[in-house]
Amino acid sequence: MRAIFSIAKTTVGEAVRRKVLLVILLIGLLFVVIAPSLTVLTARQERSTLVGLTLGVLMLTSALIAIVLTVYMIPNEIERRTIYTILCKPVQRYQFLLGKYFGAVAALGMMIGFMSLVMVITFVVFQREQRISEIAPLLKVPLMTFFQTALLAAMAIMFSTFVTPLVNFFLSAGLYFVGTLFNPLFQTMVENPASSPATKALGRVFHIVLPNFANFNVQNPVINPGQEIVNEGLYFAGTIGYAFLYSGIMLGIAVLIFDRREV
Amino acid sequence: MKKQKRTGLIAAAAVMFAAQGALSQGFLLPLWQRNYGTAQQTVTSGLAPDQLLFALAGFRELVAQLMWVRADSFFDTGNYDAVLPIIRIVTLLDPKQIDVYATGMWHIAYNFTDEESRSDRRYIPSALALGAEGARQNPQTYELFFETGWLWYHRIDDNYENAVRWWEEAQKRKDILPARQNILGMAYQRNGQIQEGLDLYFAQLRRAEEAMRKQNDFGASQQRDTVENNIDTMLVRMGQRGWFGRQQGLTNPPVPYDTDPPFNVGFSAQVAVIDARILRVRATWNVRPVGTRIRMILRDADYPNVQPGGLKWDASDAVSLDPPRDRTFMQDQLFVRNRRVERRIDMSRDPTMYPFISDKYVIEFYYNPRSAPPHIQDKFGWNGEGMTDPNFLNTEVRPGQRVVFASLELTREQLLRLGEWRNKTPIVQTENFRGDERFRRDMETIQIPGLRTERPANESPIAPVR
Repeated sequence: MRAIFSIAKTTVGEAVRRKVLLVILLIGLLFVVIAPSLTVLTARQERSTLVGLTLGVLMLTSALIAIVLTVYMIPNEIERRTIYTILCKPVQRYQFLLGKYFGAVAALGMMIGFMSLVMVITFVVFQREQRISEIAPLLKVPLMTFFQTALLAAMAIMFSTFVTPLVNFFLSAGLYFVGTLFNPLFQTMVENPASSPATKALGRVFHIVLPNFANFNVQNPVINPGQEIVNEGLYFAGTIGYAFLYSGIMLGIAVLIFDRREV
Repeated sequence: MKKQKRTGLIAAAAVMFAAQGALSQGFLLPLWQRNYGTAQQTVTSGLAPDQLLFALAGFRELVAQLMWVRADSFFDTGNYDAVLPIIRIVTLLDPKQIDVYATGMWHIAYNFTDEESRSDRRYIPSALALGAEGARQNPQTYELFFETGWLWYHRIDDNYENAVRWWEEAQKRKDILPARQNILGMAYQRNGQIQEGLDLYFAQLRRAEEAMRKQNDFGASQQRDTVENNIDTMLVRMGQRGWFGRQQGLTNPPVPYDTDPPFNVGFSAQVAVIDARILRVRATWNVRPVGTRIRMILRDADYPNVQPGGLKWDASDAVSLDPPRDRTFMQDQLFVRNRRVERRIDMSRDPTMYPFISDKYVIEFYYNPRSAPPHIQDKFGWNGEGMTDPNFLNTEVRPGQRVVFASLELTREQLLRLGEWRNKTPIVQTENFRGDERFRRDMETIQIPGLRTERPANESPIAPVR
C-alpha cells in the first residue's frame, strides 16, 4: 500500500509539471472565465447559456487532460527506462500500475477541482449567485465528471500496457466519444419501430460490453432547472458504483497484461 | 504473479463485468432516460461536422447553447430565415430549453410576413406543432402550455376551445403566475363558456385574497383588484347581454336585452382583380362604431385541411420548417370604416408567399362575434345571438355560434390576369352587392358616433339596415 501511495504521489508531481497538461488546463480556464461575456440573451437564457458553456468546457477539458495524462504514463517509463529503477526495488508490477493510476486520478481530481473553483468564483462574481442553493447544483457535474474521467483514465492505462501512445490516444478518445453517445443512441434505437430485433440485441451487447460514459452526463437539469428528477442520490451512487466496477475491470485486465509484458 | 492469483483476478473481473452490466441495464439506463435523456431523435442534418461530432458525443447542451447564441445575432440583423433551422436543431439537441421553444413558436407564427405585413399563415401549423412538442418535453412547467394556448387565442383568434384546452393544462401546473391564470377567463368567454369564466374569476379572487393575507404586497393587491374588476365587468356584461335572463328562461324581459333584437349587419362583398395579383376588395357592413374586422382568406381551392374561415391548424404533429411553398394561403383583416370596406391587397411583391400554382381559388369572408371587441359584443352577444344577416348568417360552420360566412371563387387566369383577362378586370361579388353611395364618400374620414353625434332619436349607435 505504501509503495502504491509513493508512486501515486510522484505521479501527481509529474502531472503538475507537464506543460501540455497545464496548457490544456489554462485554455479550459480561459473559456470558463470568458463565458459570462456572452450576456446577449434574456435573463434566464443568459444563465442557461453560461452554465451550458461552462460545464461543457469543463467536461471536455477534463476528458482531454485524462487522455493526454494517461496515454504516455506507462510507455514513457518504459522508453526512458525509469521503470527499472522502480521495479528493482521491492515493488510489484501491479503496485506500480495501480500507483500510476491513482496518481493520475488524484491529478485529475486536482485539476477538475481547480476548474470547479474558478467556475464557482465566476458565477459568484459575474452572476452574483452567492446562495448555496444556486451554486451547489453546479457542482454535481464536476463530481460526475471526475468519476467519468477516472474511468477514462483506467481505460487508457489498460490500453497503454499493450499499444503505442498515439494509437492509445485515438482509441481512448474514440471509445470516449462512442461511450458518451451510448444512451441517446440506444434510446433512439429502441424507440425506433424500424429497428429489427437483431439490431436491438446487437445494440444491447455493445451497450453492456463497452464503457458507458453517458451515464455520467447529468448536466441537463443543471442547465435547464425546474425539471422533475427522481432518485437523484441513488442514481449518483449507482453511477459512482459503476465507475468503480468498470475501472476495476480495466485495471484487472491491465495488471494481467502488464504482469507478462517484457519491459 | 502466481497462477492462482491470476485466476482469482480473472474471476473477480468476470464478476465485476456481470455486476456492471446488470447495474447499467437494470438500474442506470432507465433512470438516465427518465432524468437526463435529452432528445427523442438523433440530429444528423443541419449541423456542421464538428458540431455533429460534439453533439453526438455528449455535448448536446453545449452545441445547443452555442447555436442559440449564434441565432441571437441573426435576430439582431433581421435574418429570420437563418434562425428557423437553428431553432429546430437546438430544440432537438436540448428539448429542455423552454425559451427556445417559446421564442421559436413566436418567431415562426409572427415574423414571416409579406411586404404589407400580412403573416404567412402556412407556418402556423408548424408553430403549433413546435409548442405541442415543447409541452410534451417539458410537462413540469406551465410555460409551453400557455404559449401554445396563446397562439390559439391571439394568432389564430378563432377555435377558442383549443385555447381553453391548453390553458386549462397550463392552469394545472404549480408554477403558473397568478396574472397568467386570469386570461383563461377571457378564453372561456370567447369560447361561450360564460359560467366557467365567472367561476374561474371567483376562484381567482379567493386565491388573491388568500395571497394577500399571507403577504400584503403590491403584486398581491394588484392581482386582487384586477380580478375584482374582471368580475364587475363580466357581471355587467352578463346582465346586459341577457345571459342571466336566458339561463332562467326569460324570453320576454320587461327591459329588452342589449342583444335584442338581432342586428342585421348587411354584409355584401365585391372583389376585383385590378392587376395581376392585386385585389381591390369592397364590402358593406352596417355597424357604424369602429372596431369591426372581417377575416378574408384567399386560398387554393384544394388547400389541405381546410375548414370554413381557416384551417384545421393542428392537423399535423410535424414541425416543418418548410411551409408548403407550392400552396397559396392569404389571410387579411378587413377593417370596417363608415360601414364599408375598401382595401387594396397587393400580393405581387411576394411570389414565394403567394405562388398561385393551383388553377382554382376560393375567397372566404368570415366574421365571428367571439373575436369581436367588447363594445361590439355588447350588441352581438358572445355567440352572435344579437347579430343576423339575411344572406350570410351561418350556424353550421361553427356549431353553437352565429357567424357570417361567404365565399367567392376565382381562377388562376383571373388572379394573374392571363388569357382573356389580360385586358379585362375580373370582378366577383356576392349577389346582394350594390355599388351604393358608401363607396363614393371620402374614405379617409372616420365617422365615429358618440353621445353628441347628431342622429335621429330612434337610431341606435349601431346603424340600422338601409
